[in-house]
Amino acid sequence: MKIVLDRPRCEGHGLCEEAAPQLMHVDDDGELVLDREEIDEADAALANAAARVCPVAALRVE
Amino acid sequence: MSAGTLERVVVVGNGIAGLTAADTLREAGFDGELTVVGDETHPAYSRPALSKALLLDGDDTSSHALPPPGHGATELLGVRATGLDLDRRLVTLDDGAALPYDRVVLATGSRARRLSGLPDEVTLRGLDDALTLRRRLADRPSVLVVGGGPLGMELASGCLAAGCRVTLVSQGVPLSAQLGPHLAGVFAAAARDRGLTVVETRGARVEGRAGDARVVLDDGAVLDAEVLLTAVGDVPNTEWLAGTGLVVNGAVPVDSRGLARPDVAAVGDLAAFPTPRGLRRIPLWSSAIEQAKAAARALVHGEDAPPLAFQPYFWTEQFGLTLKAVGHLPAAGEPAYADGEPGGGPALMTWSQEDGTTTAVALDYRIPIPRLRRMTRAAA
Repeated sequence: MKIVLDRPRCEGHGLCEEAAPQLMHVDDDGELVLDREEIDEADAALANAAARVCPVAALRVE
Repeated sequence: MSAGTLERVVVVGNGIAGLTAADTLREAGFDGELTVVGDETHPAYSRPALSKALLLDGDDTSSHALPPPGHGATELLGVRATGLDLDRRLVTLDDGAALPYDRVVLATGSRARRLSGLPDEVTLRGLDDALTLRRRLADRPSVLVVGGGPLGMELASGCLAAGCRVTLVSQGVPLSAQLGPHLAGVFAAAARDRGLTVVETRGARVEGRAGDARVVLDDGAVLDAEVLLTAVGDVPNTEWLAGTGLVVNGAVPVDSRGLARPDVAAVGDLAAFPTPRGLRRIPLWSSAIEQAKAAARALVHGEDAPPLAFQPYFWTEQFGLTLKAVGHLPAAGEPAYADGEPGGGPALMTWSQEDGTTTAVALDYRIPIPRLRRMTRAAA
Protein backbone atom coordinates (compact mmCIF):
# COMPACT_ATOMS: atom_id res chain seq x y z
CA MET A 1 0.00 0.00 0.00
CA LYS A 2 1.03 3.54 -0.59
CA ILE A 3 0.38 6.97 0.90
CA VAL A 4 -0.30 9.59 -1.75
CA LEU A 5 -0.05 13.32 -1.09
CA ASP A 6 -1.88 15.90 -3.20
CA ARG A 7 0.74 18.57 -2.63
CA PRO A 8 -1.07 21.62 -4.08
CA ARG A 9 -3.98 20.87 -1.80
CA CYS A 10 -1.91 20.44 1.39
CA GLU A 11 -2.07 23.51 3.63
CA GLY A 12 0.46 22.28 6.15
CA HIS A 13 -1.95 21.99 9.07
CA GLY A 14 0.04 19.05 10.36
CA LEU A 15 -2.86 17.16 11.94
CA CYS A 16 -1.61 14.15 9.97
CA GLU A 17 1.77 14.35 11.67
CA GLU A 18 0.04 14.37 15.03
CA ALA A 19 -1.88 11.25 14.01
CA ALA A 20 1.02 9.36 12.45
CA PRO A 21 4.41 10.83 13.39
CA GLN A 22 6.05 7.53 12.40
CA LEU A 23 5.04 8.07 8.77
CA MET A 24 5.23 11.79 8.07
CA HIS A 25 6.23 15.18 9.36
CA VAL A 26 5.83 18.83 8.45
CA ASP A 27 9.23 20.45 7.92
CA ASP A 28 10.31 23.87 9.11
CA ASP A 29 9.01 25.46 5.91
CA GLY A 30 5.56 24.04 6.60
CA GLU A 31 5.85 21.43 3.82
CA LEU A 32 4.62 17.93 4.48
CA VAL A 33 7.29 15.26 4.07
CA LEU A 34 6.25 11.62 3.73
CA ASP A 35 8.94 9.73 5.59
CA ARG A 36 7.50 6.48 4.31
CA GLU A 37 5.31 6.23 1.24
CA GLU A 38 5.23 2.46 0.82
CA ILE A 39 3.55 0.94 3.84
CA ASP A 40 2.55 -2.51 4.91
CA GLU A 41 -0.68 -3.79 6.44
CA ALA A 42 0.58 -3.09 9.96
CA ASP A 43 0.75 0.65 9.28
CA ALA A 44 -2.48 0.89 7.29
CA ALA A 45 -4.60 1.96 10.25
CA LEU A 46 -2.08 4.65 11.13
CA ALA A 47 -1.93 5.92 7.56
CA ASN A 48 -5.70 5.96 7.32
CA ALA A 49 -5.93 7.86 10.58
CA ALA A 50 -3.59 10.48 9.15
CA ALA A 51 -5.58 10.74 5.94
CA ARG A 52 -8.81 10.97 7.90
CA VAL A 53 -7.83 13.98 10.01
CA CYS A 54 -6.76 16.05 7.02
CA PRO A 55 -9.42 18.74 6.72
CA VAL A 56 -8.61 19.42 3.07
CA ALA A 57 -8.44 15.79 1.92
CA ALA A 58 -4.84 16.09 0.74
CA LEU A 59 -3.83 12.54 1.69
CA ARG A 60 -5.04 9.20 0.50
CA VAL A 61 -4.01 5.63 1.05
CA GLU A 62 -4.22 3.29 -1.93
CA MET B 1 -20.13 1.20 38.52
CA SER B 2 -19.03 -1.28 35.91
CA ALA B 3 -20.01 -0.90 32.30
CA GLY B 4 -20.33 -4.70 31.95
CA THR B 5 -19.77 -6.84 28.87
CA LEU B 6 -18.50 -5.32 25.66
CA GLU B 7 -19.84 -7.06 22.60
CA ARG B 8 -21.97 -4.43 20.89
CA VAL B 9 -21.22 -0.74 20.38
CA VAL B 10 -23.50 1.74 18.63
CA VAL B 11 -22.08 5.05 17.40
CA VAL B 12 -24.85 7.56 16.77
CA GLY B 13 -23.59 10.17 14.32
CA ASN B 14 -21.40 9.86 11.26
CA GLY B 15 -19.52 13.15 11.26
CA ILE B 16 -15.81 13.31 12.03
CA ALA B 17 -16.52 12.64 15.73
CA GLY B 18 -18.53 9.47 15.09
CA LEU B 19 -16.13 8.28 12.40
CA THR B 20 -13.09 8.83 14.62
CA ALA B 21 -14.79 7.13 17.55
CA ALA B 22 -15.56 4.07 15.41
CA ASP B 23 -12.00 3.91 14.06
CA THR B 24 -10.51 4.35 17.53
CA LEU B 25 -12.72 1.65 19.06
CA ARG B 26 -11.12 -0.78 16.62
CA GLU B 27 -7.62 0.52 17.30
CA ALA B 28 -8.28 0.10 21.01
CA GLY B 29 -9.02 -3.56 20.41
CA PHE B 30 -12.80 -3.70 20.18
CA ASP B 31 -13.59 -6.49 17.72
CA GLY B 32 -17.29 -6.93 18.44
CA GLU B 33 -20.38 -5.78 16.62
CA LEU B 34 -20.10 -2.11 15.66
CA THR B 35 -22.96 -0.08 14.19
CA VAL B 36 -22.74 3.51 12.98
CA VAL B 37 -25.93 5.51 12.49
CA GLY B 38 -25.88 8.68 10.36
CA ASP B 39 -28.82 10.89 9.48
CA GLU B 40 -27.26 12.00 6.19
CA THR B 41 -27.08 9.67 3.22
CA HIS B 42 -23.52 10.84 2.47
CA PRO B 43 -20.53 9.06 3.91
CA ALA B 44 -18.60 11.17 6.45
CA TYR B 45 -16.95 14.28 4.98
CA SER B 46 -14.88 17.25 6.05
CA ARG B 47 -17.18 19.96 7.33
CA PRO B 48 -14.58 22.75 7.52
CA ALA B 49 -14.04 22.48 3.76
CA LEU B 50 -17.68 23.35 3.04
CA SER B 51 -17.36 27.04 3.77
CA LYS B 52 -13.87 27.31 2.31
CA ALA B 53 -12.53 25.32 -0.64
CA LEU B 54 -15.79 23.67 -1.64
CA LEU B 55 -17.49 26.98 -2.38
CA LEU B 56 -14.72 27.96 -4.76
CA ASP B 57 -12.74 25.06 -6.08
CA GLY B 58 -14.10 25.17 -9.60
CA ASP B 59 -14.81 21.81 -11.17
CA ASP B 60 -13.04 19.98 -8.35
CA THR B 61 -15.57 19.19 -5.66
CA SER B 62 -13.53 16.68 -3.71
CA SER B 63 -11.97 18.99 -1.12
CA HIS B 64 -14.45 17.70 1.46
CA ALA B 65 -13.89 14.01 0.66
CA LEU B 66 -12.53 11.74 3.37
CA PRO B 67 -11.00 8.32 2.87
CA PRO B 68 -13.54 5.52 3.20
CA PRO B 69 -13.86 4.19 6.75
CA GLY B 70 -11.85 1.16 7.78
CA HIS B 71 -13.78 0.30 10.93
CA GLY B 72 -15.86 -2.42 9.34
CA ALA B 73 -19.03 -1.24 11.05
CA THR B 74 -22.56 -1.80 9.88
CA GLU B 75 -23.40 1.65 8.56
CA LEU B 76 -27.01 2.79 8.71
CA LEU B 77 -27.05 6.02 6.70
CA GLY B 78 -30.04 8.27 6.10
CA VAL B 79 -31.48 7.09 9.41
CA ARG B 80 -32.07 9.27 12.46
CA ALA B 81 -31.91 8.23 16.10
CA THR B 82 -35.09 9.17 17.92
CA GLY B 83 -34.49 7.92 21.42
CA LEU B 84 -32.10 6.40 23.92
CA ASP B 85 -33.18 3.99 26.65
CA LEU B 86 -30.38 3.90 29.23
CA ASP B 87 -31.91 1.13 31.34
CA ARG B 88 -32.59 -1.29 28.51
CA ARG B 89 -29.55 -0.09 26.55
CA LEU B 90 -31.40 0.58 23.32
CA VAL B 91 -31.07 3.21 20.61
CA THR B 92 -34.35 3.69 18.75
CA LEU B 93 -34.38 4.84 15.13
CA ASP B 94 -36.90 6.68 12.98
CA ASP B 95 -37.34 3.61 10.78
CA GLY B 96 -38.76 1.77 13.77
CA ALA B 97 -35.67 -0.30 14.53
CA ALA B 98 -34.11 -0.53 18.00
CA LEU B 99 -30.39 -1.21 18.35
CA PRO B 100 -29.18 -2.88 21.54
CA TYR B 101 -25.77 -1.84 22.84
CA ASP B 102 -23.27 -2.50 25.59
CA ARG B 103 -21.68 0.91 24.98
CA VAL B 104 -23.00 3.84 22.99
CA VAL B 105 -21.29 6.90 21.53
CA LEU B 106 -23.44 10.03 21.21
CA ALA B 107 -22.05 12.00 18.28
CA THR B 108 -25.06 13.67 16.68
CA GLY B 109 -23.33 17.05 16.49
CA SER B 110 -25.19 20.29 16.10
CA ARG B 111 -27.18 22.11 13.47
CA ALA B 112 -27.32 25.71 12.34
CA ARG B 113 -29.23 28.07 14.56
CA ARG B 114 -31.86 29.85 12.50
CA LEU B 115 -33.44 33.27 12.83
CA SER B 116 -36.70 32.26 11.15
CA GLY B 117 -38.58 29.33 9.71
CA LEU B 118 -38.56 30.91 6.26
CA PRO B 119 -37.19 28.78 3.43
CA ASP B 120 -35.43 31.86 2.05
CA GLU B 121 -33.20 31.96 5.10
CA VAL B 122 -30.25 29.86 3.92
CA THR B 123 -27.86 28.28 6.40
CA LEU B 124 -24.72 26.27 5.76
CA ARG B 125 -24.05 23.22 7.84
CA GLY B 126 -24.09 20.12 5.68
CA LEU B 127 -22.75 19.06 2.30
CA ASP B 128 -26.12 19.51 0.60
CA ASP B 129 -26.29 23.10 1.89
CA ALA B 130 -22.85 23.83 0.47
CA LEU B 131 -23.58 22.30 -2.92
CA THR B 132 -26.84 24.26 -3.17
CA LEU B 133 -25.15 27.51 -2.25
CA ARG B 134 -22.32 26.84 -4.68
CA ARG B 135 -24.84 26.43 -7.52
CA ARG B 136 -26.67 29.60 -6.59
CA LEU B 137 -23.47 31.64 -6.50
CA ALA B 138 -22.84 30.82 -10.16
CA ASP B 139 -25.51 33.43 -11.05
CA ARG B 140 -23.66 36.03 -8.97
CA PRO B 141 -26.64 37.07 -6.89
CA SER B 142 -26.46 39.87 -4.34
CA VAL B 143 -25.87 38.30 -0.93
CA LEU B 144 -26.74 39.36 2.58
CA VAL B 145 -24.90 37.47 5.32
CA VAL B 146 -26.14 37.76 8.90
CA GLY B 147 -23.51 36.81 11.47
CA GLY B 148 -20.00 38.19 11.96
CA GLY B 149 -18.38 35.02 13.32
CA PRO B 150 -15.83 32.87 11.47
CA LEU B 151 -18.48 31.04 9.43
CA GLY B 152 -20.32 34.21 8.41
CA MET B 153 -17.05 35.83 7.41
CA GLU B 154 -15.87 32.76 5.47
CA LEU B 155 -19.17 32.69 3.62
CA ALA B 156 -19.00 36.42 2.89
CA SER B 157 -15.46 35.93 1.60
CA GLY B 158 -16.48 33.01 -0.61
CA CYS B 159 -19.45 34.91 -2.04
CA LEU B 160 -17.26 37.94 -2.80
CA ALA B 161 -14.70 35.70 -4.48
CA ALA B 162 -17.51 34.23 -6.57
CA GLY B 163 -18.22 37.71 -7.88
CA CYS B 164 -21.22 38.63 -5.74
CA ARG B 165 -22.00 41.93 -4.07
CA VAL B 166 -21.99 41.10 -0.37
CA THR B 167 -23.25 42.86 2.74
CA LEU B 168 -22.49 41.40 6.15
CA VAL B 169 -24.56 42.20 9.23
CA SER B 170 -22.67 41.77 12.49
CA GLN B 171 -23.23 42.42 16.17
CA GLY B 172 -20.25 44.72 16.69
CA VAL B 173 -16.97 44.34 14.80
CA PRO B 174 -16.92 41.00 12.93
CA LEU B 175 -14.82 38.29 14.61
CA SER B 176 -14.08 40.41 17.70
CA ALA B 177 -16.02 38.06 19.99
CA GLN B 178 -14.26 34.99 18.60
CA LEU B 179 -10.74 36.24 17.89
CA GLY B 180 -10.29 39.37 20.01
CA PRO B 181 -9.83 42.96 18.89
CA HIS B 182 -6.37 42.76 17.33
CA LEU B 183 -7.04 39.89 14.92
CA ALA B 184 -10.58 41.09 14.23
CA GLY B 185 -9.09 44.41 13.11
CA VAL B 186 -6.73 42.69 10.69
CA PHE B 187 -9.56 40.69 9.12
CA ALA B 188 -11.94 43.67 9.00
CA ALA B 189 -9.35 45.65 7.04
CA ALA B 190 -8.79 42.80 4.59
CA ALA B 191 -12.55 42.36 4.16
CA ARG B 192 -13.06 46.05 3.43
CA ASP B 193 -10.18 46.02 0.93
CA ARG B 194 -11.91 43.24 -0.96
CA GLY B 195 -15.17 45.15 -1.10
CA LEU B 196 -17.24 43.74 1.74
CA THR B 197 -19.90 46.07 3.10
CA VAL B 198 -20.19 45.62 6.87
CA VAL B 199 -23.25 46.80 8.78
CA GLU B 200 -22.85 46.75 12.56
CA THR B 201 -25.98 46.43 14.61
CA ARG B 202 -27.09 45.43 18.08
CA GLY B 203 -29.72 43.08 16.77
CA ALA B 204 -31.29 41.82 13.57
CA ARG B 205 -34.32 39.74 12.73
CA VAL B 206 -35.48 37.99 9.59
CA GLU B 207 -38.93 38.93 8.37
CA GLY B 208 -41.10 38.23 5.39
CA ARG B 209 -43.11 35.63 3.60
CA ALA B 210 -41.90 32.74 1.52
CA GLY B 211 -40.12 34.13 -1.51
CA ASP B 212 -39.39 37.48 0.09
CA ALA B 213 -37.19 37.36 3.16
CA ARG B 214 -35.43 40.43 4.45
CA VAL B 215 -33.50 41.55 7.49
CA VAL B 216 -34.72 44.24 9.85
CA LEU B 217 -32.09 45.85 12.07
CA ASP B 218 -32.71 47.11 15.59
CA ASP B 219 -32.90 50.71 14.32
CA GLY B 220 -35.64 49.74 11.89
CA ALA B 221 -33.47 49.74 8.76
CA VAL B 222 -34.40 47.06 6.24
CA LEU B 223 -31.83 45.14 4.17
CA ASP B 224 -32.60 42.93 1.22
CA ALA B 225 -30.67 40.72 -1.21
CA GLU B 226 -31.23 37.89 -3.63
CA VAL B 227 -29.61 35.40 -1.25
CA LEU B 228 -30.05 35.66 2.52
CA LEU B 229 -27.49 33.61 4.42
CA THR B 230 -27.43 33.40 8.19
CA ALA B 231 -24.55 32.10 10.31
CA VAL B 232 -25.56 32.78 13.88
CA GLY B 233 -24.28 29.84 15.82
CA ASP B 234 -25.19 26.19 16.27
CA VAL B 235 -27.66 24.17 18.32
CA PRO B 236 -26.62 20.73 19.63
CA ASN B 237 -28.77 17.87 18.33
CA THR B 238 -29.84 16.53 21.71
CA GLU B 239 -33.64 16.36 21.33
CA TRP B 240 -33.48 12.59 20.83
CA LEU B 241 -31.92 12.31 24.30
CA ALA B 242 -34.93 13.89 26.03
CA GLY B 243 -35.83 12.04 29.19
CA THR B 244 -32.40 10.49 29.67
CA GLY B 245 -31.17 13.14 32.09
CA LEU B 246 -27.98 13.37 30.03
CA VAL B 247 -28.67 16.84 28.65
CA VAL B 248 -27.83 19.93 30.70
CA ASN B 249 -28.29 23.40 29.20
CA GLY B 250 -28.69 21.89 25.77
CA ALA B 251 -25.42 19.94 25.78
CA VAL B 252 -24.21 16.63 27.20
CA PRO B 253 -21.71 17.15 30.02
CA VAL B 254 -18.94 14.55 30.13
CA ASP B 255 -15.89 13.79 32.26
CA SER B 256 -12.27 14.18 31.20
CA ARG B 257 -12.49 10.92 29.23
CA GLY B 258 -15.61 11.95 27.32
CA LEU B 259 -17.95 9.75 29.32
CA ALA B 260 -21.40 10.75 30.53
CA ARG B 261 -21.68 7.33 32.23
CA PRO B 262 -19.37 4.31 32.12
CA ASP B 263 -21.34 2.93 29.15
CA VAL B 264 -22.15 6.23 27.42
CA ALA B 265 -19.66 8.51 25.65
CA ALA B 266 -20.55 11.88 24.13
CA VAL B 267 -18.18 13.44 21.61
CA GLY B 268 -18.07 16.33 19.21
CA ASP B 269 -20.30 19.37 18.98
CA LEU B 270 -22.95 18.18 21.46
CA ALA B 271 -20.54 17.41 24.31
CA ALA B 272 -19.43 19.83 27.03
CA PHE B 273 -16.10 18.65 28.41
CA PRO B 274 -13.76 19.95 31.13
CA THR B 275 -11.43 22.76 29.95
CA PRO B 276 -9.31 25.26 31.89
CA ARG B 277 -12.31 27.56 31.51
CA GLY B 278 -14.81 25.08 32.92
CA LEU B 279 -17.18 22.68 31.21
CA ARG B 280 -17.36 23.86 27.60
CA ARG B 281 -18.53 22.88 24.17
CA ILE B 282 -15.73 23.46 21.67
CA PRO B 283 -17.32 22.80 18.28
CA LEU B 284 -14.13 22.58 16.21
CA TRP B 285 -12.83 19.92 13.84
CA SER B 286 -9.74 19.05 15.89
CA SER B 287 -11.78 19.08 19.09
CA ALA B 288 -14.20 16.49 17.70
CA ILE B 289 -11.29 14.26 16.70
CA GLU B 290 -9.48 14.47 20.04
CA GLN B 291 -12.65 13.98 22.07
CA ALA B 292 -13.63 10.95 19.99
CA LYS B 293 -10.22 9.31 20.40
CA ALA B 294 -10.16 9.76 24.17
CA ALA B 295 -13.75 8.61 24.66
CA ALA B 296 -13.46 5.53 22.44
CA ARG B 297 -10.38 4.39 24.38
CA ALA B 298 -12.20 5.01 27.65
CA LEU B 299 -15.16 2.88 26.52
CA VAL B 300 -12.79 -0.03 25.91
CA HIS B 301 -10.21 0.46 28.66
CA GLY B 302 -12.10 2.42 31.32
CA GLU B 303 -9.97 4.44 33.70
CA ASP B 304 -6.78 2.96 32.26
CA ALA B 305 -7.36 5.18 29.23
CA PRO B 306 -5.62 8.56 29.39
CA PRO B 307 -7.87 11.56 29.94
CA LEU B 308 -8.31 14.14 27.22
CA ALA B 309 -5.51 16.70 27.20
CA PHE B 310 -7.03 19.03 24.68
CA GLN B 311 -5.67 22.25 23.32
CA PRO B 312 -7.89 23.88 20.71
CA TYR B 313 -6.69 24.21 17.14
CA PHE B 314 -8.62 26.67 15.02
CA TRP B 315 -8.03 27.89 11.50
CA THR B 316 -9.81 30.06 9.04
CA GLU B 317 -9.25 31.25 5.49
CA GLN B 318 -10.98 34.37 4.30
CA PHE B 319 -10.39 37.56 2.33
CA GLY B 320 -6.95 36.34 1.24
CA LEU B 321 -5.74 35.70 4.80
CA THR B 322 -5.08 32.42 6.56
CA LEU B 323 -5.01 32.08 10.30
CA LYS B 324 -3.97 29.12 12.42
CA ALA B 325 -4.36 29.31 16.17
CA VAL B 326 -3.43 26.96 18.99
CA GLY B 327 -4.91 27.65 22.40
CA HIS B 328 -7.99 29.45 23.60
CA LEU B 329 -9.50 32.39 21.77
CA PRO B 330 -10.41 35.26 21.85
CA ALA B 331 -7.00 36.78 22.40
CA ALA B 332 -7.22 39.90 24.54
CA GLY B 333 -5.05 42.93 23.91
CA GLU B 334 -1.97 43.19 21.70
CA PRO B 335 0.25 40.25 20.74
CA ALA B 336 3.94 39.57 21.32
CA TYR B 337 5.65 38.96 17.97
CA ALA B 338 7.79 35.85 17.56
CA ASP B 339 8.18 36.79 13.89
CA GLY B 340 6.82 39.57 11.74
CA GLU B 341 5.70 42.91 13.08
CA PRO B 342 2.64 45.06 13.66
CA GLY B 343 1.08 46.67 10.62
CA GLY B 344 0.50 43.73 8.36
CA GLY B 345 2.29 40.95 6.56
CA PRO B 346 2.94 37.41 7.72
CA ALA B 347 3.28 37.18 11.49
CA LEU B 348 3.74 34.67 14.26
CA MET B 349 2.21 35.94 17.47
CA THR B 350 1.53 34.87 21.04
CA TRP B 351 -0.82 36.11 23.72
CA SER B 352 -0.52 35.33 27.43
CA GLN B 353 -4.09 34.77 28.47
CA GLU B 354 -5.61 35.63 31.83
CA ASP B 355 -6.23 31.96 32.65
CA GLY B 356 -2.48 31.30 32.52
CA THR B 357 -2.52 29.62 29.10
CA THR B 358 -0.78 30.87 25.99
CA THR B 359 -2.37 31.26 22.59
CA ALA B 360 -0.12 31.10 19.51
CA VAL B 361 -1.34 32.45 16.19
CA ALA B 362 0.15 32.20 12.71
CA LEU B 363 -1.25 34.77 10.31
CA ASP B 364 -0.41 34.16 6.65
CA TYR B 365 2.48 32.13 8.01
CA ARG B 366 3.10 28.54 7.07
CA ILE B 367 3.95 26.60 10.20
CA PRO B 368 3.24 23.07 11.35
CA ILE B 369 0.88 22.72 14.27
CA PRO B 370 3.34 20.81 16.42
CA ARG B 371 5.60 23.88 16.27
CA LEU B 372 2.72 26.21 17.13
CA ARG B 373 1.93 23.93 20.07
CA ARG B 374 5.55 24.13 21.24
CA MET B 375 5.31 27.92 21.20
CA THR B 376 2.43 27.81 23.65
CA ARG B 377 4.55 25.76 26.01
CA ALA B 378 7.81 27.68 25.60
CA ALA B 379 6.05 30.92 26.40
CA ALA B 380 4.02 29.52 29.28
